Amino acid sequence: MSRWLRFLIVIIIGIGLGLLYGWVVDPVDYVDTTPASLNVDYRADYVLMVAEIYGVNRDAEAAVIRLTYLGDPSPVDSVQNALAFAVDAGYGANDLRLLRDLADALAPLSPPGQDSVP
Amino acid sequence: MKEERGSWYLLTGLLIGIVLGLLYAWVVSPIQYVNTAPHTLRTDAKDVYRQTIALAYQSTGDLARAQARLNLLGDEDSALTLAEQAQRQRATAGDSDEVQALADLAAILGQAPVLVVTSPVPVDTQIPSETPTLTLFPTVTNTPTLEFTPTGTPIITPTATLTPTLGPSSTVTRTPLASATPEPTRTPLPSLTPTPTLAPPFVLDKQVQVCNPNLTEPQIQVFINNAAGIGVPGVEVILTWAGGQESFFTGLKLDVDIGYADYVMEPGVVYTLQVSGGGQIIPDLSIPECEDDNAQRYPGSWRLIFKHP
Repeated sequence: MSRWLRFLIVIIIGIGLGLLYGWVVDPVDYVDTTPASLNVDYRADYVLMVAEIYGVNRDAEAAVIRLTYLGDPSPVDSVQNALAFAVDAGYGANDLRLLRDLADALAPLSPPGQDSVP
Repeated sequence: MKEERGSWYLLTGLLIGIVLGLLYAWVVSPIQYVNTAPHTLRTDAKDVYRQTIALAYQSTGDLARAQARLNLLGDEDSALTLAEQAQRQRATAGDSDEVQALADLAAILGQAPVLVVTSPVPVDTQIPSETPTLTLFPTVTNTPTLEFTPTGTPIITPTATLTPTLGPSSTVTRTPLASATPEPTRTPLPSLTPTPTLAPPFVLDKQVQVCNPNLTEPQIQVFINNAAGIGVPGVEVILTWAGGQESFFTGLKLDVDIGYADYVMEPGVVYTLQVSGGGQIIPDLSIPECEDDNAQRYPGSWRLIFKHP
């Protein structure tokens, strides 16, 4: 076996060791993440919480403030994304109604030409 | 010639490989935190999440759902964490409605754990898999979950896509707090949702003068117990006096009791105490006098023990 071939092999072994360490021995710990990184279902559930609160207090301004937590470009996006997910995932009728109510309330904030409710 | 070089080149190659691996991991394709779960959030973000849970609970009264959501945060003791947050926000002059929502949820969780048994609550199973096929609902698995398969670089940055098996007609549901009932409409029926009715107001069970010379400051010590005699955290205790009012919460001094709270009395001030939620009013609380073995007088304390009737 030539020296170059052996050299190449140990490089590959090194990469393998690095990956083994990074993925198995000491894998990444997900801590101190931001709300923007939340998985789509958790984001949708957060929006649902905001919708539940809005469903009682009808305070759209407070809802907008709470939705900024998710770090989306606009709260309207947050609600529309959540609503789309909720429809796909089969949320209950009452939950969908709450989300639609919130979407309707925030519709005036939508950029022109953007559908407010799917 | 070859013999003189030895095998150092192998070590060199190994180091180059490791460097390449790290270069790839840290520069070419650094970690991007996506598709995370609430338990991984920063502390301040968890506080906001928890606050929103409490307010949503206040709006809907759905305790099972609130508990399921709290479970996602991975708190060891949700009631205690809520009480602590209420206390912190109270201390920083946070919105009183928000503080109250936290305290109410802490109280109901602390005193009525049995209520949640009847409702579907997700089971934690934890931690994103490091294998290329990962299910991105690491903290919730009793709910049928959408399976995601990474489409990009495996493992570290799992760009998720929906598997085609899930559609509107699917009989599974997936929210973190979804009902275990595999039906498209999974909102718990009102009849199945435990109504988070607070028990009757706490009443004074005992009022005892405490003469303990080791106590450095005269205190009002409050113990709030449920009907079974177990301490209840997160209960707000309101003190009023001429020209002032203060409130504090049980559950922050676990070394004493989970249902314990205390307040340092000022000399010459007469306090009136009430447990929030319309509890019994205890008037005329001021620093009592105690006497030690040498007939020396010193300020004493009051111990008030409340319980559900």
